[in-house]
Amino acid sequence: MKDINEDIKWAQINADVLRSMETPRLGYWIAVATCVAMIACAVVAEIYQYKHGMGYGLLNWPHMWDIYIATFIFWIGMSHSGTLLSAILHIIHADWRKPIYRFAEAMTTFSLMTAGLFPIIHIGRLWNMYWVLPYVTDRGIWPNFRSPLVWDAFAISTYLTSSALFLYIGMIPDLAICRDNARGWRKKLYIALSLGWRGDDRQWRNFRRTYLLMACFLIPLAVSVHSIVSSDFAMSIMPGWHVTTFPPYFVAGALYSGCAAIITLFVLLRYFFRFEEYMTIAILEKTCKLTFAIAMAWTYLNLIEFASTWYGHDVASKEVLLQKFYGPYAPFFWMMMFCGSVVPFTLAIRKFRRHIPTMFVVSLLLNLGMWLERWMIVTPTLANAYHPIAWDTMWPGMVQWAIVFGSFGWFGLLFLVFVKIFPSVSMYEVKEMVYHRRGHAGKDTEEVLHRPVEGVRATTGRPGLEGA
Amino acid sequence: MSGKEIDRRSFLKVMGWSGAGAATLSGCDLPTTVTIEEGKETVVSYLMPEEYVIPGQGVWYASTCQQCSAACGVHGRVREGRLLKVEGNPSSPIGRGKLCNMGQASLQAHYNPDRLKKPLLRKGAELQEATWEEALKYIEERAGKKSGVQGNRAAWLTGNVSGHQAVLLQAHMDSFGSISHYVHELINTAVSGLANKDVLGEVQPVYHLDKAKAVLSLGADFLGASTSPVHFATQYASFREAPRGVLIQVEPSMSLTGANADLWIPARPGTEGVLAMGIANALIGQHGVSAANLPAGVKQAIDGYGIDRAADITGVPRTQIEAIAKTLKERAPSLVLTGASAEGHAHGYNIAAAALMLNVLLGNVGQTITSSGDPAFPQLAARAGNTRDLFAFAEGADKGAFDVVFMWGTNPVYTAPAFLNFEDKLSKVPVKVAFAMYRDETVAKADVVLPLSSPYESWGTHLAAYNSDEPTVAVQQPLMQPIYPDTKSVGDVLLALLKMREPNTYSAFNDYYAYLRKAFSELPATHKVGGSDDAMWVQSLQRALLAAKGTPKELSAKPVAVDFPAYEKDAAYPMHLAPAARLGMWDGRNANLPWLQEQPDQISKVVWGSWAELHPKTADRLGVKNGDYISVTSAQGSIEVPVYVYRGVHPDVVAVPIGQGHTDYGRYATGRGVNPLKVLSQVTDGKTGELALYATRVKVAKVEKKKPGINELMVRFGGSESQVGRKLVASVTADSFNRTEGA
Amino acid sequence: MSLQNILNNWDKYRKGHEAGGHHVYEHMWSMVIDLNKCIGCGACSVACYAENNLAVVGKDRFEKGQAMHWLRIERYWDEPNLKPTASDEFQQHGASFLPMMCQQCNAATCEPVCPVAATYHTPDGLNAQVYNRCIGSRYCSNNCPYRLRYFNFYSFYETSWPEPLNLQLNPDLSVRDKGVMEKCTFCVQRIRTAKDTARREGRKVRDGDVQTACQQSCPTTAIVFGDMLDPESRVTKLWKAHEVELGKTAQHKQHPEKRGYRIFEGLNTDPCVMYLERVREV
Repeated sequence: MKDINEDIKWAQINADVLRSMETPRLGYWIAVATCVAMIACAVVAEIYQYKHGMGYGLLNWPHMWDIYIATFIFWIGMSHSGTLLSAILHIIHADWRKPIYRFAEAMTTFSLMTAGLFPIIHIGRLWNMYWVLPYVTDRGIWPNFRSPLVWDAFAISTYLTSSALFLYIGMIPDLAICRDNARGWRKKLYIALSLGWRGDDRQWRNFRRTYLLMACFLIPLAVSVHSIVSSDFAMSIMPGWHVTTFPPYFVAGALYSGCAAIITLFVLLRYFFRFEEYMTIAILEKTCKLTFAIAMAWTYLNLIEFASTWYGHDVASKEVLLQKFYGPYAPFFWMMMFCGSVVPFTLAIRKFRRHIPTMFVVSLLLNLGMWLERWMIVTPTLANAYHPIAWDTMWPGMVQWAIVFGSFGWFGLLFLVFVKIFPSVSMYEVKEMVYHRRGHAGKDTEEVLHRPVEGVRATTGRPGLEGA
Repeated sequence: MSGKEIDRRSFLKVMGWSGAGAATLSGCDLPTTVTIEEGKETVVSYLMPEEYVIPGQGVWYASTCQQCSAACGVHGRVREGRLLKVEGNPSSPIGRGKLCNMGQASLQAHYNPDRLKKPLLRKGAELQEATWEEALKYIEERAGKKSGVQGNRAAWLTGNVSGHQAVLLQAHMDSFGSISHYVHELINTAVSGLANKDVLGEVQPVYHLDKAKAVLSLGADFLGASTSPVHFATQYASFREAPRGVLIQVEPSMSLTGANADLWIPARPGTEGVLAMGIANALIGQHGVSAANLPAGVKQAIDGYGIDRAADITGVPRTQIEAIAKTLKERAPSLVLTGASAEGHAHGYNIAAAALMLNVLLGNVGQTITSSGDPAFPQLAARAGNTRDLFAFAEGADKGAFDVVFMWGTNPVYTAPAFLNFEDKLSKVPVKVAFAMYRDETVAKADVVLPLSSPYESWGTHLAAYNSDEPTVAVQQPLMQPIYPDTKSVGDVLLALLKMREPNTYSAFNDYYAYLRKAFSELPATHKVGGSDDAMWVQSLQRALLAAKGTPKELSAKPVAVDFPAYEKDAAYPMHLAPAARLGMWDGRNANLPWLQEQPDQISKVVWGSWAELHPKTADRLGVKNGDYISVTSAQGSIEVPVYVYRGVHPDVVAVPIGQGHTDYGRYATGRGVNPLKVLSQVTDGKTGELALYATRVKVAKVEKKKPGINELMVRFGGSESQVGRKLVASVTADSFNRTEGA
Repeated sequence: MSLQNILNNWDKYRKGHEAGGHHVYEHMWSMVIDLNKCIGCGACSVACYAENNLAVVGKDRFEKGQAMHWLRIERYWDEPNLKPTASDEFQQHGASFLPMMCQQCNAATCEPVCPVAATYHTPDGLNAQVYNRCIGSRYCSNNCPYRLRYFNFYSFYETSWPEPLNLQLNPDLSVRDKGVMEKCTFCVQRIRTAKDTARREGRKVRDGDVQTACQQSCPTTAIVFGDMLDPESRVTKLWKAHEVELGKTAQHKQHPEKRGYRIFEGLNTDPCVMYLERVREV
C-alpha cells in the first residue's frame, strides 16, 4: 500500500488543492452559521459572566478552577499535533506527513488562539489581564516571575507567535501558487502574503534553511509549553497536582489529543474536499499507528502516576486518587480511562484503522477522553484536597458549559475560514513527496517533470513546474 | 421640686432608688435636649468638627448590649457619627470585655433595613403610617387620664425589663392601679428559679463555674442559650484551666455546652431527675457521702431510686451513673446545674429540685453556689420573664379583662404554642399598643405601633437577669443620632405615656435623658462615686456601669422531697420533640439579622433555615438521610423539616431548634424554616405552671419532597464532618495537661 | 534575587523561602488559639463579619459554596487520636471545634503562584492581599492547603448591605468588588492604627496594642494575638512554652506532651498560627 499515488500529475495537485479554496457551497455556509451560533452562545454567557461575576458559572469555594482551565489545557494540548507532524516528522524525514501537516499546523495555531481565550475568560477581572505581562510602567510593578501563570503567558504567546510564523513560512511557496491562480481580492492578498516568491534557487535555499530552523526551534518550545502548563499543577502543593511526572504526562496527552484531532480533521477534509488522492488510507494508517503509540505512552504515564501516588503513601494524594476511582466524579474518570486507554486499541487493528467512519468516531472518543482527562486533573483535586471541611462536589453551570461549547465553534470558524483562504494541503511538499517517491521507484524523473498535463489550465513558468 | 421628707420618699420612688438607703437631694440644672454629646444638638459639618471629633478616627463609647437579658457592657466604635463596631466593655463584670455572636450582630439590629420608621395606626385591616401626634392622641383617648381605663384593665405584656425603664413602666401601671404586668420570655429560668427559692431561699443565686472542678449539667446550656452566655463562657475559660474541671452534660440533643462536654450523655427525656436521684444514691451508698443534711423525706426518696432502677428508667448505664458520682465526689467542689431541656417537663420543678438536692449533698452550696445578696436597688431589678405570664395574659384577654394592652420586647404571637390560640385571644383586647423596632408577628396585630429607636440610639439603665457576684446597674447611652428621626427610645415613650397619666410628676422631664440625669444626681450617697454629680455621671457613662453591690446574704439549704412519675411510652406519638434554643437565633428574635442567619449553627452547621436532628438509628428506621424531609407531628399539629443525622441526639428524640419559621418579620426571616413551638403540646410544669417545652410527644415520618427549591433546601457548611485522620483538632489527656500546664 | 545570589545561597532558598525571611521583619504577627478553651460559639466569626465588611451572601449562594467567612468555625465529630467512635452509639466526646482563619504562613503557598504578585509577604510577617492588584486568577486559593481564601464571585455589595446596613461598613478597609480574592488579614487596619499611634507617641508597639476582632470578642479568651519579634509578648511566651518554632516542618519537642501544634506544618507552609490541643478526660 502506497502512501500516495506516485503517478499523480503536479498540475493535478494544484488543481485539486486550489479547488478546495473555491467559492464555498451551501454546506460550508451552514457550517459557518453553526460555528457562529456556538460562538454567540459563548459570547452571551461571557457578557453575563463579565457583568455579574464568576459565580454564575457555579464556580465556588474550593472549586476556583473548573472546566475553563480543563478546556484551556485541552486546546493547548491539541496544538501540539501540528508541531509534531511538521517539525518532528520533518526533522526525522518521515515524508508521509507532507499531505497532512498543513492543516495540522493550522490546527496548532487555531487551537492556541482558542486556548489563549480561556485564561482571559476565567480570571475575575479580565480587564486587567495585561498585568501578567512584564510591561514597563513608571510604577515599576512587575508580574511575579515565580508564578507558573506568568510562565504560561510567556510560553503560550511565544508558542502562538512561533507556530503562526511556522505555518506562514511553510505556506509561502503555496501562496505563490495561489497568487498565480487567483483573481480579485484574493490576488491582492496572495501577492502580499507570498512576499514575491518566485521559486528560484536562492529563495528555495533560504526557505529550506529557515523552515528547518523554525522546526528545530519549535520542537523544544512545544515540549516546554505543555510542560509549563503542567507546572500550573505540578508546581502547586495540592494532592493530585503536585506530581513529578506531570510534564511528560501532559506532553504525551497533548500529542495524543492532537493526533486524535488530526484524524478527525483528516477524515473531514478528505470527505468534504475529496482529497482521497492525498489523504490516503495509508497515511491514515500511519497516523493511527503514531496515535496508538502515543496512547500507550500516555496510558503508561497515567499508570505510573497512580502507582507513585499509591506507593508514595501521601494520605491526601491517595485520598484524591481514591476519590477519582469511586467518588462523585468516578463515572467521568472511568470514561476517561476507557476512552484514553481502551478505545485506542482499535487503532492497533488493521481492519478498524482502514475503516474511515470507525476512525472518525474513535478519534472523537479519544478527544473526549482527553478532555475528560483534563477535567479529571483539575476538579477532583479541588474537590478533595488537604482540608476536609472544604471537600465539595461541584458541577459546572450553564455559563461555563456555554463558553466551553462556544470555544469549539470559535475553533471551527477559524478553521473554516482558513481552508477557504489558504491551501489546506501543502502543494509543493506533496509534489516533493511524489517526486521523491518516483525517484525511489527508479523512474526517470526528468521525464516525469516534463510530462505535459492535459485538461489543466497552464499557468506561468515551465511546464510541469507550475508555481513550484 | 421640693425637698420635703415625705415627698422625698416618693420622689426616690419615682427615680427608682427606693429601698436603697438614705439619700440627699441636690438641685441641678437639667439640660433640655442632648444628643450623643451632652448639650450639643446642632449638626455641624465635618469641615469644622468639634474638638473631640477627628475625622477618620474612631472614638469608643460605652453602652449596654440589648440582644438578650444578660446586659453585657459594650464599647461602640463611632466614627463620623456612625456606629461601626461593638466590642465588649472590659469594665463590665458580666462580659469582661467579651461579646457573643448576638452582641456582635446587634449592629445589624441597629442598622436593620426592616426597622420601623414612622408610627403606625390601624385603619381597617391595615397598619398605616401616622404621625406621633396622631398615634399619641390615639393612645391618650384610649388610655389617658380621661379614658376611664382603670385598674387591671390596663395591661402590659413585655419581655424582660429592668432598670429605670422598669421604674417608669411600674409608675405607668401604678397610675392605673394595675398589677397586670405580664413578662414573657421563652428562654427563662422560672422553673429553676422557684426551685432555687424553695431550696436555697433565693431565686437567682450566683454560680461559680470557675471555682468548680466538676460540673454536672442536666440540660443547662450555659455556654449557649442561657441567662448570661458570655459571663458563663468567661467562667468556663477559667474552669478549663489547669487543674482542669470536668464537664458532664446530660441532655436529649446536643447543645453548645454539650458539644464541649467531656462526657455527653443522652438520658431519656424527662428522667434527668431520676438520674440525679441515682447519682445521690451512688454518692451515699458507694462514696459514703453523708446524707445528714438532707431531710428525712428526701433521704427516703433517694432510697427509692437505686442505681439499677435509675439506670433502668433513664437509659443511662449503671457504670456511667457510678462514674458521674465518683467524679462529682472526687473533684470537689462540684456544681450541678439544670437547664431548659430538663426543666421543660411536667415535673420540671422536681428535676430542678433534685439537682439542687445533689448540690446540697455534695456541699456545693456556699462553695460554688453563693447568694447574690439582697439587691441594692430592688426597684430596678429585672422583672424576669416566663411563659406562665403568657398563659395568664391570654386567659385574661380571652375573658375580656383588658381594655388596653401595651406590648414591648416580646413577640408572643410567634412564641406562643398553637394550642394557646394566642392570636385570637389577643384580638379580643380592644386597644393593642406596641412599641417596636421592627414589624414582627405581634406588632402586625397591634392597633397602634410606636417605632422605637435602637438601643444604640437610646438612653437606659439595665440590671442583668443573671447577676454575677459583682452586680451592677448597666448604663445604656446612645452611641449615635437616631437613624430615623421619627423614632423614640423606650424611655421617652414611657415618659410620654406617663405624661398622659401623671402630668404633675413627669412633665418636668423633657425627655428620658433628663429623667435619667436627674435620677443619677439623686443616687443614694452610698452608691455615689467620683465626688460631684457631674463627675459621677461622666464616670458612669465612661464605664457604662454603676456598682450596685447588694447586702451580702447566706444561702439556706433545705432540699425538698420530690418524686418522679414513671416514664410512660406513648404508642401514638413515640418520639420526644426537643425545641432547642441556640446562641444566635435565640427565641427567634434574631432571625432578622443576616450575620446570624449566615452563621452556621454551632452543632449542625446549617444556615438560613430549620432542620431536625435525628439519631442515625432513628434515621435508618425512617429511611432518611441528611437533607431528606420528615414530618414531625404532635397532637397539636405538624411541621415538615429537613433532617440532620448525627449521634448527638437521643434515639427517641427529634430536635428542631427554634428561631425560624417567622411569618412576618422582615426580609431576612420571613418564610424561612419552621417554628416548632407551634406544635407544642399543652403540658405545663405542675408546680410553676410554666410551659413544659420539652414534654411534647411526636411521631415522625418520612416526607417525599420533589426537588425542593432553595427555600426548602437544607444548606450546611462544610464538606466533611470527619477529620479523615489529618491532624486538625488534636487532643491531649487532662492528666498530661494538668502535668504540663498545672501551676 | 539574582541568579548568582540564588546559586551562592542555595541553602537559604532551598525551602521555597529564604531562611529567616527575605525581609528585615519589623513584626511577626502571630496567633495562638487554645482549643481547650474554644467553645465553638462563633462570636469571633460574626465579629469578623462586622470588622472586615464581609458580605452576607444569602442562602442561595451559600448553598453554591460562595460564602465569604474569613474566619470559619469547623466542627468535626471525630478526632484522629481518639479511639474510633464509629461504633459508639452516641457522640459522647462532644464535638471538635476548630476556628480557621488565614494562617499567615511565612512560606505561604499562595504567594509564589500569584501571577501579578497581588499577595505577598509584608515586613510585618503578614501575608497581604492587595485587592487593587488582584486580577482574580484564583490560583492562590487553589494552592492554599487550608482553603482560607475566598473569592468575590459577585459584586456582593449590590445585595449584601441594603440601606441602612451600609452605614455599618468599616471605613478603615475597602468593600471588595467582584473578581478579587480576599482573606483574613489579621485585622491589618487595626495593626496599622496601632503602629501609627505608637509612632506618633514615639514608642514601639506594645503587646496588647493590637487586638484582632476575633480575639477581642472571644468569650473564653481562646485567641491570643501578638508580635513574635517582641520577646515579652504573650504569643512569644506561649510559642516558647509549647516548644513550637517557626521555620520547621516538624517540631521536636523535649516534652512531647506540650500542646502546641501547627496545622499541616509538614507541608512546609510555616504558618504563624499555633493551635493548642484540646484537652480531654478519657
